[in-house]
Formats: sequence, C-alpha cells, structure tokens
Amino acid sequence: MRTSLHIKGKHLWRICTCLILGIVLACCGEVITGVDQPTTAKVGDIVPITVHISIPTAGNGGPDYLVLGILVPKGWKAAQNTTITYTSPLGDGTMSLIPDGSLPKNGGGLTWSGYMKKTFGNAGNLIDDMEWVAYQTDKAYIHEGGHTITGDLNIKMKVAADGNNTLVKLGYVITDTGNGFISDGNGTYFSQVSTPCFEVTGGSGDIVDFCNPQLTIVDPPKSLDNDFVTLTFDGNVVATPVSGEAEVYLCATAYTDDGKTITVCEQTAKTLMKQTSATSKRYQITFWPRSFFNATDTQTIVKMEYFVTNKAGTAKVGYGNTAEPFVYTFKCG
Amino acid sequence: MKKIYQIKALILVMTITIMAASCKTEKVLQQKEALKDITGSWQVIKATRNGTDLTPIIDFSAFKINFASGGYTLVNKLPFLVDKDGAFALDDPEYPYKITFTAAGKTPIATAFTYPIVNGKRQLSLTFSPGCTNNSYVYVLQKVN
Repeated sequence: MRTSLHIKGKHLWRICTCLILGIVLACCGEVITGVDQPTTAKVGDIVPITVHISIPTAGNGGPDYLVLGILVPKGWKAAQNTTITYTSPLGDGTMSLIPDGSLPKNGGGLTWSGYMKKTFGNAGNLIDDMEWVAYQTDKAYIHEGGHTITGDLNIKMKVAADGNNTLVKLGYVITDTGNGFISDGNGTYFSQVSTPCFEVTGGSGDIVDFCNPQLTIVDPPKSLDNDFVTLTFDGNVVATPVSGEAEVYLCATAYTDDGKTITVCEQTAKTLMKQTSATSKRYQITFWPRSFFNATDTQTIVKMEYFVTNKAGTAKVGYGNTAEPFVYTFKCG
Repeated sequence: MKKIYQIKALILVMTITIMAASCKTEKVLQQKEALKDITGSWQVIKATRNGTDLTPIIDFSAFKINFASGGYTLVNKLPFLVDKDGAFALDDPEYPYKITFTAAGKTPIATAFTYPIVNGKRQLSLTFSPGCTNNSYVYVLQKVN
C-alpha cells in the first residue's frame, strides 16, 4: 500500500515539474530584432520602413492578433498616411488601425494609443507633440510549442504631412492582443525600439526638432493667439550671452494678418521670465498673445519672432544661440 | 349577551375603518427641483490648460463674468468661449448641463458645464478651446461675494 502511494507521489512530482516547465516555456515574448529605416527623407515622401520581429513560442497560447504601435509627430497624421503589410511563415497579410472602441486587455480602460503613451511616453523625444498610432494584424495566430515565428512588418508612411522640416526619433512597439505591455514569470510580452534621429527636409514650415534640447520651448506646441502660451528658456543647454543673469526678459515682435508688426521689447514685469526654481536656470513666461501684443479685435497674430534679453536689454539670445530671432508660428496643424 | 355582540360589531366596524383608511393612497408631494440661477458676478478660482494648472502663473483676479437676466458681460477679458458680451441660455433651467453663449453678432457657442456645490458654494466649471481645438481649458468659477 505504502509502495503504491510512493509511486503515485513520484508521478505527481513528474507531472508538476512538466507543468511548471511548460508554463515557463510557454513564454511568447515578441521581440523587435531590427528596424530598417532611412535616415533622411523629403517632406511628403512615402518612406519604406521594415520592422523585423521574432516571436519565440514554446507553449500553447492564443490565438492573438499582433499589435504594432508607431510613435510619430501628431502633425504627420500617420493614421491617414500609413499602410502596413506583413510577411511571415504563417502567411502574409495587412495591418489596420485598431479602432478606439477596441480596448487592450491590460490597459486599465485606456485605448491602445493611450496605453502606449502611458507606458512609453514620448520615447526619448523632447516635445510632447507625438502620438502612438496602433495597428493590428488582420489574422490571429496561435503560439504553438517549440518554434519561433519570425516575420517582417512593412510600413509605408508619408512623412511630414504638416509640411514642417522635422528631426524626430520614431519609435516602434509590438505586443499581442492577449497580453499587452506586461511581464510575468513567463517573460516579457512586448518589445519597444526607438530609432536614431530621423530628419525630414525640404519643407516650407518651421523646423520642429524633437531630438535636441532647445533653448526655448513653447507650450502648447500648437497654439493660436487666443491660447495661453508658455515660453520656457532653458539656460542649461549651452552658454549664452545671458548666462549668469538673475533675470531674463522676453523681447518679441508679432506679425499680424493685416501686415503689421507689433514689438514688445521692454524689461518690465510684463516681459519678465521667472526662474522655475532658484537654481533651475529655466525661465518661464505664460501670456495671452492677443493681450500681450495688444492686438485689435480685427487683427490675428500669425507668428512671432523673439529674443531673450538680460535686464539691461544689452545682451540677447536668438535661435541656436545666434543673433537671429526664434520664430514661432501660430497654427493648429 | 347582546352587548357583547354590539361590542364585537363595533370592533369589526372600527377594524374595517382602520384597514380601509390604511389602504388610502397617499399623494406624493411633488418636490420641485430649484431653478439654477447663475445670475451674478463670477470669477475664476482654478484654471487648467491641457491639464496643466494655470492658476499660479496667470492672474485671473480681474477677470469676471457677470450673468444677468438679459445676458452676460465680460470684465477684463481673458481667453474664453466668447470674446464679446452677449446673451446666454441654459438648456434646462432645472437640470442644466449645457450653456450656450451668443456673443453679439456671432453664432452661438455651446459647452458642457457642471454646477457642483463645493464647501457650501456653487461652482461653475466650463470646458472650452479658445484657440486650437486640441488645447482644452477648464475654468472653475465661483460667485464673487
């Protein structure tokens, strides 16, 4: 009796070991193994990008859809300007936008796009005017034991639909609808890659540089003269003619739609840029452009050029630490 | 013996009366929801832009919205739903959830609003985009005493 019980226990242990091993090996962590992407493009070009992926599967799971997120400047309107196909040993197909109503399993109620933004933010880009655009495969796949699925996601994206010359770190993330951005004892179910700075040239608009620290940043990045605009001067980026000054001031010229210019270049409380903390060397001013420049009811301010000056008004800093002014265009697109 | 019958009959009648009375349907008093009266002068006590608190960095103290029976007036203007004085309307005076501003000579602009009581005071919370539609502002207003 005792012997038979002993044998049963042995079996139990074997079954348990196999089961645990099975669970551990059931990991189906998608991995981005590489991204082929040009380093430059012209405004409006359709750029081919290939994301190479690998899905090691050992246990059984799914069927799930593969999810791809692309991080792009909002102004590119990537959702309307991108097509994606894929090739894999399980078959080829297309990827389409995930509708907002289709929520990720572990996203806490966020959309896929919101879930990506919450998890990965702007992925190394310095201006918060980027969005994650989420796609999923047309077919679901089963992760079956013992083999690795490799494939290519072929993206064709029209870049810089907003006409702006751009420097940006495009980002990619993959996961599947069964998991999302989670890790557990079985592994990590997603993979995120940010690419080096990608440059778009040949545009007529402003240069939008998401990659490099800027001397001045305007928040919100897209605004009109009837918004509140926060302008921040970052004295940490490079030594400037106003380095070491206790107070800096804004010196700006507005260009209106009726062809007039309005200059406000004084060193008073109105133009004072306050340091965000005693040693931050970041100076900030928030203003309502219509009121700041005293525009009439019929005038619209289309752009402003500006410098940052010292209290005496004798030293000033312009774009790229030169004598040329910074330029900000008031627009929403 | 006869008396006992009489008493019994009396008890029976009383019981029936009581029971009949208990079955009488009561009329529910109609509780009328108070009309939401927003007339008066309102000022901003909190403001956000895309979730960023603007209250400490912008002086809102001079900006006032005066609601009167005939319309509204703006004092010391700041970015708002409308930039001129005009008329306003609530979609439902008892349970309003939408307010419409019609600046003189302009098309009406409606926005959702909430009207909570916080610390015993009515507040008016308005969400709107005076510039780019992607930039969302919330002003929380309180009546000026």
